[in-house]
Amino acid sequence: MRQEGHRRIWVWTGLAFGSLMAGLSQLAPAIGDQASIAAGYRIAVNGVSPERASCASCHQQNGAGQPDVGIPRLAGLSSSYIAARLEYFATGARKDPVMAPYSAMLTPVQRQAVADYFASLPVPPQPDLVQAREATLDRGRTLFLDGDYRTGLLSCSQCHGRTGLGVSNFSPRLAGQSADYVAQKLEQWQSGDLRDPKGIFMRADARHLTQSDIAALAAFVSSLGGKEAGKP
Amino acid sequence: MKKNGIWKIAALVLLAGDVGTVTAWKISSLFTVRPGAFQPPSDSAIPAGKFGDIVRFGEQIFRDPGTYARQFVGNQLRCSNCHLEAGRLGGASPMWAAYPAYPAYRSKNGHVNSFEERLQGCFRYSMNGKVPKLGDPVLVALESYSYFLAKGLPTGKTAPGRGFPALPKPALTPDYARGAKVYAQNCASCHGADGLGRSSGDKVVFPPLWGPQSYNWGAGMTSIKNAAEFISANMPLALGGTLSVQQSWDVAAFIDSQVRPQDPRFNGDVDQTRKKYHDSEYSMYGRTVNSAVLGDPAFTPPSRTVPAGNDTGPVDAD
Repeated sequence: MRQEGHRRIWVWTGLAFGSLMAGLSQLAPAIGDQASIAAGYRIAVNGVSPERASCASCHQQNGAGQPDVGIPRLAGLSSSYIAARLEYFATGARKDPVMAPYSAMLTPVQRQAVADYFASLPVPPQPDLVQAREATLDRGRTLFLDGDYRTGLLSCSQCHGRTGLGVSNFSPRLAGQSADYVAQKLEQWQSGDLRDPKGIFMRADARHLTQSDIAALAAFVSSLGGKEAGKP
Repeated sequence: MKKNGIWKIAALVLLAGDVGTVTAWKISSLFTVRPGAFQPPSDSAIPAGKFGDIVRFGEQIFRDPGTYARQFVGNQLRCSNCHLEAGRLGGASPMWAAYPAYPAYRSKNGHVNSFEERLQGCFRYSMNGKVPKLGDPVLVALESYSYFLAKGLPTGKTAPGRGFPALPKPALTPDYARGAKVYAQNCASCHGADGLGRSSGDKVVFPPLWGPQSYNWGAGMTSIKNAAEFISANMPLALGGTLSVQQSWDVAAFIDSQVRPQDPRFNGDVDQTRKKYHDSEYSMYGRTVNSAVLGDPAFTPPSRTVPAGNDTGPVDAD
């Protein structure tokens, strides 16, 4: 019995250690397999068909996207998050007329490779965009950190973290994301679009936002993270 | 704005269809502000000056006790994990409803408790930490914040929205295996399949529901009834009211049948501790789950684990 007790302590210590290591591994982006990253790089830059533009032609080779026209930044997102979205586009689980044909051209292995490549990139420095007004940023900050108990809006930070870094494959990093992109997506959710199977949470919360709240939130999250380049 | 109106009409139609108050509460909790709930003042109403500073400090502790009350916190939970919207949301044990309800007799410790003593209980059990002494700046700040939120509420009356909304008893006895399924489908993507929570950067975002970093066996949330009520009204986040009554009870039973830190009142004997403090159909303490006895010190993490270097010795009031 005593022996058994000791064994259990070790099992428990092992579990605690395991969860600590799992926690640590979340701090760094998924490194993925180097070969997969290299294969993903080739697809991202060259594409898989001469008929079609490559990922990089819109999202840039460094994954920065084009913030001013609402093309999202991919660097900083986790590999499992990107791979799942590509699968949703390819299968139609998420309706996107632009991304669907590109994703459908890729095999599951190629989708994973592209995801590994973009997830391996450092977060690029933010471009100099027109700064939102201070009052707009303040409103966005309040909604992001505290929500609004009067409308039932839960704070964005409850799922995306107070610094907007996101949670691995569940909630994407928002810090420094294109404001145009964030606003577009919030509007889509608000209109009742599910976007993908994980969209139930955003559809429920976005219902509580007004148009000006959406603009304020988009401006605020795009301003998060400062200008420095760094790993997510 | 227009959309909000449509939801309200939908809720009214359902109300007219005689769907009972619980469903009405749930429907409204999904789509708009909960009915009858008191509206606490917002942060912008915090007064300037010394008192306002302490109110603000209280709110900071409330949102991030691991930073602002570090010496008393023994796990990765925040007050605001259960008291949603930083203690402002009705149906999620709002602080504005708790404040005017004290002093009150509590069967949990068999005497009349001041509000401050009630707060001590949160640190001792829910935060698995050390108890701040009465008058400690941390307790004063939390009391000030709660007092500020309760502005205008009368004493001697239970404010609508206090605690969690009552939940009907389930048709079937709450079941671990059914609960595990509900958990996997609705909870695991945030709290983790292992229940240990998930982080954003180095900050815990989704609280651990069990394991050494969660609430201990003395916490109110170890009551399957409390957990079921909280879950039904508030979980999954932003989707409160979407689980069925049965699912809420089942998943609460599953969560409250896991390993968690010891009850700080543990006297060395699990059976005796169960008889004294857990003699309820809603507590799994001392029961055998997966061939192990919950609370068995052999594999139960200790209570009162504050960060290393912060152990200033016991300061329990009771």
